Amino acid sequence: MIRFKSQKRFVILAFLVLMGVYSALRAQEKHRYLGPLQLGNYQGEADYSYSIVEQDTVLDGPFTIKRSSLEALLKEEDLSFDISGNFEKDYPQGFWQLRFGEFRSDSQSQVVDYQYRVLISGTQEEASGLLDKGRPDGPWTFAINRIRDSEVDTALFKSSILFESGVPQRNFRIEDQNHILVGRFLRNGLAHDEWSLYAIDEMGEGESWFFNEGLLQKIQLRRNGEILEFPIHEEQSDSIKTIDLGLRYLKALGFSQFDSDTLQLTQTQIPDLLGQNERYYKKIDDLLSLLGNSSFSPSFKVRLPYFPLDSTELRQSDSIAHHFKRAKTIGDGILNNTRLNILKLSDREALFLHNVVAGISKDFLDPLGRLADYNREGILEFVPRKELLLQLWPTGKPSVAMEVDVSLDGISQKRTFVLPGEELSDFSGNTLLSAVNMARYANKVVDSVQQVLADKLTREKQEQELISLEEKLIAQGKGLHVLLDSLSGNVPMSHKDILLKIKALTDHNLSEYAQSPEANDKLARAQQLVDCHTRLEYLAKIIGQLPAQEEEIRQKYQDAVWNPFTATVMNEEVKKRITAAYSKILIPYYLAQVGSQLNCENVEQWIILFENTYQRVLQLRDEDTAKLERKLRRENDPLTVMELFGINAIHKGDKE
Amino acid sequence: MIGARKNFPLVPVLLTMAICGSLLSQENGGAVLPSESEFKDPKTRIWFNTYGNIRISKRLFWDAQTHFRFQETDDTPFIGQIGQIYNRHAIGYIYNKSFNASLGGVLRINFNTDESSTDRNVVPEWRIWHQYQFAMPLWTAMIYHRIRIEHRWTQGFQENSEYIFRNRWRYMLRAKVPLNSHKLEPKTFYISPEAELIMQSGKAVVASPMEDLRLTTTLGYILTPRLSIAGGLMYSHGQSLGNGGVFDQEWTFRFHVYFSPDFRKVRNKLPEIHLND
Repeated sequence: MIRFKSQKRFVILAFLVLMGVYSALRAQEKHRYLGPLQLGNYQGEADYSYSIVEQDTVLDGPFTIKRSSLEALLKEEDLSFDISGNFEKDYPQGFWQLRFGEFRSDSQSQVVDYQYRVLISGTQEEASGLLDKGRPDGPWTFAINRIRDSEVDTALFKSSILFESGVPQRNFRIEDQNHILVGRFLRNGLAHDEWSLYAIDEMGEGESWFFNEGLLQKIQLRRNGEILEFPIHEEQSDSIKTIDLGLRYLKALGFSQFDSDTLQLTQTQIPDLLGQNERYYKKIDDLLSLLGNSSFSPSFKVRLPYFPLDSTELRQSDSIAHHFKRAKTIGDGILNNTRLNILKLSDREALFLHNVVAGISKDFLDPLGRLADYNREGILEFVPRKELLLQLWPTGKPSVAMEVDVSLDGISQKRTFVLPGEELSDFSGNTLLSAVNMARYANKVVDSVQQVLADKLTREKQEQELISLEEKLIAQGKGLHVLLDSLSGNVPMSHKDILLKIKALTDHNLSEYAQSPEANDKLARAQQLVDCHTRLEYLAKIIGQLPAQEEEIRQKYQDAVWNPFTATVMNEEVKKRITAAYSKILIPYYLAQVGSQLNCENVEQWIILFENTYQRVLQLRDEDTAKLERKLRRENDPLTVMELFGINAIHKGDKE
Repeated sequence: MIGARKNFPLVPVLLTMAICGSLLSQENGGAVLPSESEFKDPKTRIWFNTYGNIRISKRLFWDAQTHFRFQETDDTPFIGQIGQIYNRHAIGYIYNKSFNASLGGVLRINFNTDESSTDRNVVPEWRIWHQYQFAMPLWTAMIYHRIRIEHRWTQGFQENSEYIFRNRWRYMLRAKVPLNSHKLEPKTFYISPEAELIMQSGKAVVASPMEDLRLTTTLGYILTPRLSIAGGLMYSHGQSLGNGGVFDQEWTFRFHVYFSPDFRKVRNKLPEIHLND
């Protein structure tokens, strides 16, 4: 017996103990959530229990989420769903039911026992069964029914599978509107014995797949009273691997019955039903995975002969994938090049290059692409490489020398293409190595074609540019003549002379250009000339504007003055020395200089000088120019005037 | 306040008028009116007039006029000899573009042009004057109404001649019509017809209230807003002071220079151009 010194201490201790117990209990306490929840594409009202473990939400207990909208139903169509089940520590556990409906209503309602009833039509998907730690356990059914007026009208699809801890057991049954598939499994989920598909409407029609411990041995088709048998894996292979009966298996299977060319897997119906079933299971798995841990799949197991890739083959298949990807990108780029596609209509060389790449694409890249796909999908290891390559190139491998059709303008012609230096290459032999060599070769071909094409297209582009530049030059020349003619009417004689000089200069430039020999720099010179004539045209416009500018300056250099004798306001010209210096000294000087010195190199400077001078004179109107005006008195030297005005005499250097 | 300031110059004027009026009443003797009006032979005169208008502030200007008037004599028939020299000054006020007023004084020097006279050669004449001018645009021309009132003290050339006081009442209607432009502006010729009636009153004025009727046509040229020149011919006639039945007549050649300098700085000048508009 522990004795406490005082009763007070006992109370405190008891309180602390109780608090500890309470908080431990509290940690296990379940919470409930009621409200909207988004689950993938499904948004609805959810109601579930959860607990918080180390700040994580762990679903635990009943779970439901559903949605339906009367308004949407009456208006057009309602997509409803209703999912209910149970979680145990984040694992779906126990009975689960999932329903997805697409319903419409004819908007007719009736009242039955205090309820409004609306009849609905559409489809309903319903899945239900037991789960153990997220895996199907026990019988599972998945049914899709067509509903008419609130009653099941037709069963569109139904599958019933028995599971034990996620492994399918004993018998299963999958049916759609036309067929029924039944089959059985071993305890470990391997397909075994006969899997039979019956046509519902046609007696005796159907097919059977015969498995022996997962290994498909033969396929029997019953068509039109005939029985066709196709052996698949009759002989035991040295190496066998167990995989899921899925897309990968069916693809790999496509190679194994290569010998019997009368059967195509696409004629069979069993894969179709299995595929449908797998898609529905995946839909449920996707939903459950969003909530907690689950692995919901049919997990039908089969076995296939196995041909593992050794390290060399692994390297080779990677190399094929790499070369293929690169060659494909470049090749497609060439084939889709718009300039090339236009050019090939008129240029035999371009057509040749285009068709070389088209040939490489068809004979090399397309099969190599499939090979790369198989590698990526993990099918390679179930197919003997020899058979694979034989199937990829059924008519044999292409040779290095490629016959290329270069028929143009109704003249049919063929040329042979061999990549220089590769004349001796050989792609025979049905090994991955030969495929690697082909991929490398295809790469080299597209590289070399691209190089040749780039040069060709550049040259072509330059020629086009030159043509367009020359057209522009001619148009400019004509435009300039029209402009000069129109300007000549509005300007004084001194200005007109300069306009004629500009005209003469452009004519001279054009004739000099026309007489110059073809050379590499012709494009550059044409461009220079276009620039030069653009500027000359601008200069001509400036000279054409000079009288208007002088008038504008004259207007600006006026002051309103009150004349008391007439009692009117009169304009008085002010700062006359500045306007006089502009119009009587600077402009005549500029025009004389332009007349004697103008060329393509200095035209830009003249433009700047004219513009600067005009702007400067406009500015001077508002400045205090008393001193400047004094200095301008009796000043006749244009260069001094420019200096006084603060205009850079850019051509002073030329003069000295 | 404004009224008081405006009236201020009038006070001495009125005082002066009253005093002079009482002091300078003259006996004129009794001239006999002819049975019908009698026109003397016209005299010719030449006037050289300068008109200065010097801006001194936003609204005030100094009106400075100097006139040289020549009158024909027997010895020098056409151009004659100097008759009067005017010095007319005033301070003007620009109310707006259409109206201005001036007030000032005149010192006129009168020369005796009677070569046979033995009296004094030169006598002064004093005036106080005020003027009200209205301007109005009419199409491309300008029309002016000018009212000028003068208070005038004159004396004869005789030794110890007494001053006589008279008031002059003048109204002038004038137009300025641009000839080679759509408005009055520099480098414009204009023609200016004018008519002025000058009435007078005073004790000395018994039967001759119409002192002068002047009809003038002038051709002018505006050189710059600040300088114009003009020349014209004036015909005038009016009752002679001595006898209201006798009319004097004159033909006068007039030459004018109008100048209006503005010595204010540019900065002060700019905002005042448009006055009130």
